[in-house]
Amino acid sequence: MTTRKASRLMGAFAALLLGLAGAAAAAEDDLRIGNLLDVTSWDPALADIGFDGPYLSAVYDPLVIIDETGKVLPALATDWQFSEDRLTLTMNLRQGVRFSDGTPFNADAAVANLEHLKAGARSSEAYHNVKSVRKVDDDTVEIALSARDDSMLYLMGLGRSYMISPDVIAKGTAAAAPVGSGPYTLEKALPGAEYDFTRVPGHWDAATYPYDRVAVFPILDPTARHNAMLSGQVNVSYGDPVNNQQAEAAGWNVSQSPAGWVGLMFLDHEGKRLPPLKDVRVRQALNHAFNGPAILKAVSHEAGKPANQVFAVGRPGHVAALDNRYPYDFEKAKALMAEAGFADGFDVTMPMAPLFQPWQPVTEQTLGLLNIRVQWDNMQTPDYQVNAPKYPMFIAFIAMDGDPIANLARQVTMPQWYNLEPEYAKFPEIAALVEKAQTLTGDDQIKAVEALNTKLTEEAWWSVWYQAANVYHAQPGIRVTGVPGMMFPTLRFIKRG
Amino acid sequence: MLLFLLKRIGAGLVLLVAATAGTFFLAHLAISDPTAALLGSTATPEQQAALALKLGLDRPVLVQFLDWAGHAVRGDLGLSWRSFQPVSEQILQRVPVTLSIVTFALLLAALFGTLFGVLAGLNPGGVFDRVIQAVTVVLFALPGFWLSLVLVLWFAVRLQWFPAIGYVSPADSMTGWLRSITRPSVSLALGAIVMVAEQLRNQVMTVSRLDYIRTLKSRGLPKSRIRMHVLRNAAPTAITVLAVMFTGLLSGAVVVEAIFSMPGLGQLTQSSAQMGDIPMLLGITAATVFFLVLVYILLDIVLGWVNPKVRIR
Repeated sequence: MTTRKASRLMGAFAALLLGLAGAAAAAEDDLRIGNLLDVTSWDPALADIGFDGPYLSAVYDPLVIIDETGKVLPALATDWQFSEDRLTLTMNLRQGVRFSDGTPFNADAAVANLEHLKAGARSSEAYHNVKSVRKVDDDTVEIALSARDDSMLYLMGLGRSYMISPDVIAKGTAAAAPVGSGPYTLEKALPGAEYDFTRVPGHWDAATYPYDRVAVFPILDPTARHNAMLSGQVNVSYGDPVNNQQAEAAGWNVSQSPAGWVGLMFLDHEGKRLPPLKDVRVRQALNHAFNGPAILKAVSHEAGKPANQVFAVGRPGHVAALDNRYPYDFEKAKALMAEAGFADGFDVTMPMAPLFQPWQPVTEQTLGLLNIRVQWDNMQTPDYQVNAPKYPMFIAFIAMDGDPIANLARQVTMPQWYNLEPEYAKFPEIAALVEKAQTLTGDDQIKAVEALNTKLTEEAWWSVWYQAANVYHAQPGIRVTGVPGMMFPTLRFIKRG
Repeated sequence: MLLFLLKRIGAGLVLLVAATAGTFFLAHLAISDPTAALLGSTATPEQQAALALKLGLDRPVLVQFLDWAGHAVRGDLGLSWRSFQPVSEQILQRVPVTLSIVTFALLLAALFGTLFGVLAGLNPGGVFDRVIQAVTVVLFALPGFWLSLVLVLWFAVRLQWFPAIGYVSPADSMTGWLRSITRPSVSLALGAIVMVAEQLRNQVMTVSRLDYIRTLKSRGLPKSRIRMHVLRNAAPTAITVLAVMFTGLLSGAVVVEAIFSMPGLGQLTQSSAQMGDIPMLLGITAATVFFLVLVYILLDIVLGWVNPKVRIR
């Protein structure tokens, strides 16, 4: 049997199964989500944005939200304005909202929440520059900043401004159970298995949420998630790209959104720990040497886009011409290495953890062909985040943001686990472009980010092989819109359609 | 018997200490700084240091273990580093799931393994024996995870008789509970059934050829009484296999719980290991060893009851 015939037969079998599953699915008044991970914490200060969106957005309202393009929109904060120096943000708050314990949402509650979020280990990333928060009147708060921060509102909208009852903050019980003002309340929780939510009557934003009941199932195993979709037990799932063909054959809605870039992170552009990395030709060689599209196909099953930049495809700051700045050209890579005086390669030690093993063989083989000898330090995945920045370069999967300034901050200027001591300031040309991007506003700011992006890509600041995407499968009649920065979008991005 | 039981309990306690100590030190060796995974990539070094202080990670590892052990003997397994909820509460939530699957699988293995093993052993070389032998070979050769997937695709996706994922508590619905545990238990039990059947078949054949059975036959005892003697002497083997299998089924539950997305101990172990939640891993180890020791003590009691020859004085 030829491969084509075999794949047709398999496709027909899958379509039969999927058709049966679809036929058996109940009327879609219920939204049943097969998520990847369990909720990290019910305390928004300790929760993770990644996969917590469906859980937290069910029970909590945020101050602001973002749309799929990263634009900030009102939620519990109805409008806001920055002072002329952009160091004070005044927010007007929605009136008539109550938390599920009966406590009213007002400026006191907002202040208590913002202070709680600023202190939180995970949520504080949005409030680094917040100096103080104060109540102006019952429905107005003022946030004072120590420095201009153009990414704060975006990060708040991404999932860092969920409001909870001030009582649970005072009692220290925020993580125990959700007490919010969201469109749903948690009816039943079976940790690790299932969370059932029911609609709150008369919620101020009820029109955004078309489903009366929502259930979220954390399902770690991709096959189990897919089987749950096939059986109709869930009608939306965090998809495995391996199953995209089957899903499309069955008429499911398949959507993708940029998740993160995959490649090599360079942390030693000055060459202090690994001298060859100082030479831009070596870094460029390490870009040309990797066949990004082939790795995207083999490892990520074509879920993503080939790219050589760290700004998400189709989002502000992205420059289309840079996506193929370093086409696969091994001879050119060798020539650049020789030109830089490293024809015989060099020795490098890199960290390795199970999460990054899919890219280990191609890395070792490619570097080996350039005579770069790699010694791997094996460690567990949690340790990778601690130890990886101690190495001059390592294999990376770095999340991208839809907002250009937030993305610039997290990729270049702000200390992150993958970049504890940002080096940009030591390179005057790059530092000047960064300053320009952080000073301008509006379209000029976007153009400045594009110029910076071009410079960083030309400098081969990283070796970006491709931009991987999150994939979502939904039964016919349901549409999921992915949002960069969220691994699984919040409930407002799951609609009928 | 009492002395024997006390010895067994003593050995179990030694095993418990050794297993938890091993888990503790290996976990600390593998996860150098759990605060990074627990707080996420956005936490500052100050926040990580504060959490380390709160968790007592600034103390020597041996002191940390002795502190944990001191509380554990009083029934306090500590708080989960991830959720800050009591470890014992979370384990108690998960134990019924894993025990439901494993116990049901064990029952299926005992029932069908005994039935097939005895029928095959009493008629060696017969049609039934040959069929059992062939099925045994096939089931041994097939990977368990593959069988699990086939069961999901056929019974959950195709026929929709059972849910594809998840667990229903018997408190919520008895039929829902049975439906949710049937496929995972059958997946686990298939291998166990053929193993019990094979062991019992061989033992029945061996016992049937012994002198005293021949003597009983020559005295003209009815076949049913002779078979009773055969089975009573062959039973310890099957019971021992079943008890040993309990350990294997517990390990198998880790994979099966993932395939059927069931919130049991296996899934909890996996997520705790990923997050570096050492108190949870220690609690799970202690609970698992406790169950194993209990099962082996019960095994010795049952073996003594079934066959007086194996009683230990």
